[in-house]
Amino acid sequence: MDLLEEYIKAGRIKLNTHRYHETFTVHDPCNYVRKSQMAFGDHMGEKSRWIAQQCFGEGLYREMCDDPMNNLCCGAGGGAWAMPYDQERLDYGRMKADQIRDTGAEIVVAPCHNCRDQIMKGLGGQFKKNVPGFDMGNYGETLYLWELVANCLDYEPWSEEEQAQARAARDEQFERDGVELEEE
Amino acid sequence: MAEEARNWVKADREHRRIGGISPELADRCYTCGTCSGGCPATGLVPGWDARKAIRAIVFGMEQEVIDSKWPWVCTLCGRCQYQCPMGIQLMKTFRACRTARERDKVPGPIHKGTMMNLERGNNLGIPTDDFRFLLADLGVEMENDEEQPTPGFYVPVDKEGANIIVTVNSKEPFGEPDDMKFWWRIFYAAKEDWTVSSTNWEGVNWGLFSGDDESMKKQVARVIENARRLKCKTILYPE
Repeated sequence: MDLLEEYIKAGRIKLNTHRYHETFTVHDPCNYVRKSQMAFGDHMGEKSRWIAQQCFGEGLYREMCDDPMNNLCCGAGGGAWAMPYDQERLDYGRMKADQIRDTGAEIVVAPCHNCRDQIMKGLGGQFKKNVPGFDMGNYGETLYLWELVANCLDYEPWSEEEQAQARAARDEQFERDGVELEEE
Repeated sequence: MAEEARNWVKADREHRRIGGISPELADRCYTCGTCSGGCPATGLVPGWDARKAIRAIVFGMEQEVIDSKWPWVCTLCGRCQYQCPMGIQLMKTFRACRTARERDKVPGPIHKGTMMNLERGNNLGIPTDDFRFLLADLGVEMENDEEQPTPGFYVPVDKEGANIIVTVNSKEPFGEPDDMKFWWRIFYAAKEDWTVSSTNWEGVNWGLFSGDDESMKKQVARVIENARRLKCKTILYPE
């Protein structure tokens, strides 16, 4: 997240707001807010919101909670996504589903692999199957924070020279590693 | 505290330990219920919630907590610990309960995945050659992408002296390979000098979740070792 912010602020990447016109909200992964605060004395709640806001027009942001530090876990943290307690994991996530419904947002931005899977496949899956208790209102899709950024990039293709250099480096690497590509 | 109740309390700072951490705090509990009142997992495991688990430990019933589902349905989100007015380290305590569970009774694949990781370098046992070919193929795919072509792009593997070395979440090469391209496209646009190691590239540390400190540290050490071997300045866990 620090790196994305650095790229944007230093002008190394440029983002446009043409691609998404939906309302959106940002989920706070426990690791980036409370645990980061407890371990490093700094949390990412404002950073994630700022980065996401660079990809949308004004007025589309919907806040999910009173304070990022007090936001709720998606329900799949601490390894729960991989554990055999699926019903508990989904029931846990009902509170997150309610939060998302109450924002009225169409897109949920998730800055964590695990939270994204729970919100998109877990909670969103239940919602799309109309399972009672999982009404997520206007919800349509979940995006990784970096997926959002990648989809909103304005960039130029590299110059011929840069491309030639990269291809030479690539061929060297493939030869070293014994990687043979099928004909392009 | 009534004299009688005082005798029930087994946790004192010198003697009661759960994985070496509990004594510091559980005996301070006021039983106010801030932890369980604010916890989305309350009500999910019959008979248990955060407050009860801490109280059980105070009364010397830690084995019952360790044997219960509670420490595993709790997602270690840290909200209780962050809010506890007495500064009790609940999250740390519940993780210590996971540590105290016998390894063959750790639920789900997180212990097996950790062992797989130590043996083969990633939680899902993806072989190095398959990984190299996958990255090479995806690189070509991305270069020629119809919507967002990135001419000149490839995935630099084991590149010495790169600015950034990234880890990989094994679920991506295993099941969602296209999702790796998001970060790659950002690197392309930023013209970043980056690389990924061909071995021990796993970025998901299941030892953290299974409560296995030793394996967790080994895995972290490997990520650092990769950065040192390839003389990279920054390690990025890309999430």
